[in-house]
Amino acid sequence: MTDVLLKVNDLKVAYGRIEAVRSVSMEVRRGEFVGIIGSNGAGKTSVMRAISGVKSPSAGSITFDGVEITGLPSHTVVAKGLAMVPEGRHIFGDQTVEDNLILGAYLRGGRAKTQLAADTERVLDLFPVLRARLPQAAGSLSGGEQQMLAIARGLLSRPTLLIIDELSLGLAPKILDLLFPVLTELNRAGLSILLVEQMASYALQVTHRTYVMENGGVLMHGDSETLIGDPRILDTYLGHREAS
Amino acid sequence: MGEIVQYLLNGLTLGGIYALLALGLYIMWEASKAANFTHGDIYMLGAIVAVVLTERGLPLFVSVTASVAIAAVVGALIERFFVRPFNTEPHSIGWMLTTIAVGMMIESAATQTYGSLGRQLPSILAEKPIRLGGAGVYAQELLLPIAAVATMFGLQVFYRRTRLGRAMRAVAADRMAAGLMGIDSNLVALIAFALAAGIGALTGILIAPVLPALPTMGALTGLKAFGVAIVAGISSARGVVIVGLAYGVMEKFIEGYLSTGARDALGFSLVILALLAFPQGIFGRGEVKKV
Repeated sequence: MTDVLLKVNDLKVAYGRIEAVRSVSMEVRRGEFVGIIGSNGAGKTSVMRAISGVKSPSAGSITFDGVEITGLPSHTVVAKGLAMVPEGRHIFGDQTVEDNLILGAYLRGGRAKTQLAADTERVLDLFPVLRARLPQAAGSLSGGEQQMLAIARGLLSRPTLLIIDELSLGLAPKILDLLFPVLTELNRAGLSILLVEQMASYALQVTHRTYVMENGGVLMHGDSETLIGDPRILDTYLGHREAS
Repeated sequence: MGEIVQYLLNGLTLGGIYALLALGLYIMWEASKAANFTHGDIYMLGAIVAVVLTERGLPLFVSVTASVAIAAVVGALIERFFVRPFNTEPHSIGWMLTTIAVGMMIESAATQTYGSLGRQLPSILAEKPIRLGGAGVYAQELLLPIAAVATMFGLQVFYRRTRLGRAMRAVAADRMAAGLMGIDSNLVALIAFALAAGIGALTGILIAPVLPALPTMGALTGLKAFGVAIVAGISSARGVVIVGLAYGVMEKFIEGYLSTGARDALGFSLVILALLAFPQGIFGRGEVKKV
């Protein structure tokens, strides 16, 4: 049993000839809440796609819970306890909210029905708006509700690590003020979280540690508390630059 | 009057075949976004294998079950070796050529081993015709439209209520998201092809007591079923059944009032016109999307 849950070593991801990720190393320890910030096109999403098995990396290694998962297809990665809420949410729009939740628990099969019912109750308590929407087509939900559904669906596979790619994408600040405390609560309950976020100000406030990505590599990393006061971060990502 | 009823009943039987085959194409399309052009030959294979096994002295029930099982295995093999490797990019069309080629191989192999003469499957439902409004029809023939509608409702329940069915819908809607749920979309596609092939074989078996089974029975029928699926909008089960039945009835009326020769020329012309009017298919899906 190691303290490090996810270890990414010298990862490279390429789309044809274009190298989106040049060399990225990072880790998430058990119980940690880690953030990745960076501008658009920095390669954040590509790293997440490689970790979750959506895209095979061209080089490097990924180890999860002591097992090498580099290049494994996503359905096998989920089975090992690593769930991802993808960028753009990707809920199943023509199926009901309830069906989406059932699909989230797909790998648990028909076993342990009472446990599954209890877990479903638990995620519905986290996002009470979803409860009234259960029989509704998921495509008819608002953007914020869809994000809640995507997270709830991810949780139902009972992951040890939850990756959320671009939580805030297209969402109003009011919704974000609702979503971030839920993530903190989940993390306090023992879930390790890796959050990719363009809204650096939000991410730095809730996470323990943060990686800053730029041009397909890690520019710097450290405790979120420290980074939040770093002048380079203030300048580039928090938009505190004084007009000169 | 009797004439019209006769055309209508025969048309529903023929339409039942198109509808059942088009349902199979729908199942495979949903799971893999590929059309399997061997499907007509699977339908033929189902009929022929059942006839041969029955001739060898196996009880009807056993030969029917074996035939469906064999077709399902063939369907799975086609997915694994002739569709999946040629469907790796979103706009791949290699599967088109490979499945057409495999369909021809199946037909040639059947001609070599079975011969080109049609033989019927015995059935107690095809012994005495039923009289209906001046027309005559075997109970066996009525089974086809009934089976088409029953399969459609069965699929609806399967897609909405079962774990595998939900997984198939998830794969159809969004392969990446399905993978993130832990669904193996390759396995789902394999099962979908096996299921469709099973239904296709059963269709051939259902008609074999009325229409003698022979190696050439599949190709044109399969192509028409594909036309039906496209005109209906291949993502609608209800649509393909409605269009399938309608197409069969239309063919019988053209045959009856014009000529057999006019049937396919007119039929395919209508398919083309329908596609011009409804590029997404008549019952094509208007996707609910919100970003």
